[in-house]
Amino acid sequence: MEVRLEQVSKQYGSKQVFASLNEVFESGKITGLVGDNGAGKSTLLRLIAGLDLDYSGHIYYDGKRLSKPLYQQMTMVFQTPYLLKRSVYDNIAYPLQIRHRSAAEIRQKTEAMIARLGIEKLADQYAHKLSGGESQKVALARALIFEPDLVLLDEPMSGIDAASVRFMEEMIQEYVREYHKTVIMITHNARQAQELCDRIVHLHGAAGGK
Amino acid sequence: MGERLLDYIIAGFWKALEMIFSGDAELWGIVGLSLRVSGSAIVIAALVIIPLFTFIGLKSFRGERILSRVLNALMSMPSVVVGLLVSVCLSRRGPFGHLQLMYTPTAMIIAQVILVSPLIACLTYEMVKHRGRDIQKLGQTLGANKIQSTFMVISELKSELFIYTVNGFSRAISEVGAVMMVGGNIKGDTRVITTTISMLNSMGDYAMAFALGMILIVISLVINSILYTYKEKRADV
Repeated sequence: MEVRLEQVSKQYGSKQVFASLNEVFESGKITGLVGDNGAGKSTLLRLIAGLDLDYSGHIYYDGKRLSKPLYQQMTMVFQTPYLLKRSVYDNIAYPLQIRHRSAAEIRQKTEAMIARLGIEKLADQYAHKLSGGESQKVALARALIFEPDLVLLDEPMSGIDAASVRFMEEMIQEYVREYHKTVIMITHNARQAQELCDRIVHLHGAAGGK
Repeated sequence: MGERLLDYIIAGFWKALEMIFSGDAELWGIVGLSLRVSGSAIVIAALVIIPLFTFIGLKSFRGERILSRVLNALMSMPSVVVGLLVSVCLSRRGPFGHLQLMYTPTAMIIAQVILVSPLIACLTYEMVKHRGRDIQKLGQTLGANKIQSTFMVISELKSELFIYTVNGFSRAISEVGAVMMVGGNIKGDTRVITTTISMLNSMGDYAMAFALGMILIVISLVINSILYTYKEKRADV
């Protein structure tokens, strides 16, 4: 899914976050969003995710405006993961369950994803009791299991152990390679931006736009 | 004089224990009706109010503060006022007089639904406003529609909502004003624990009043014990 921003501006009250932003996030690419704190990176992701509709300008998804069916095709992983008060299995299966996929498909895909994460022993445990790194891996797995066209990552790898970071980077790379989907991720990690991202977009906030 | 009164009270207390453990039909009939009336009221209120105020709590709209204040004010509405309103509506010349519900357990259930609804509504609304909206956004990012998101919020907050419901039951079963006014405290028909205690006290008949009082305290202890165990379990989860 290609995401195109046209003259996108956002302000909270009298405070301008960014103004007249024009950008194209290409399909099948991982784009890193970098910039200082307060530059509006998270805000921009929320606009693209359709979580905040109070902005001016236009955002197009494969040339179309945001609509209800489009919400079904994108996902977002937050810096602090919120896992449902259910088992790890049920958390990962949730997006498939609400899409009314068959029981066999749900079981097969969820079990495969759990095996991919290597957390078979934790599958029946309450997800919100997991450690930081495991929580983020489950949150990413839950986001990717329904194969969304657009994946928005709001610094999901900050504050977790190096092994979990590497694992999640591999997952994201494999996902884009295998399904040719679009990933936009915020990162403060220069190595990650260089190694993982196909392109870097610098956000300078209201003063400089993009 | 004082000693005689004390003896009378002590005798009433022993008689009360005898009535409880001998399975006194009238006593346990009153307890059963109390549980039925308050239980029905709380189930009806919870089934209607929790989904409704979860849905409203997830919406951003002008007047959110006003709604919060109104619900807070209604929470402390005196039960006699509720009784009066329901009486006016159900009395023979009232708008629903033709239904002939006055002085029936149904009228008592209606009064208790109105009494506990603001409590459940206010607590549900405030909880959903503060925590539910983030959960709803998570649902949105996973592709849940509005109904699925609403149920997801209820599911995630079910522990808190359960506690509010049990608190509502506590208020309903210990309330006396409204059920007295709309039920009439008719023997074998609308007589519940609180109205009977009130009546027996004014008659100076302490035996059954003590028995019912003890049962009410036991019910209260059981409810609090359930809540305490549930809160402990939640802390472990």
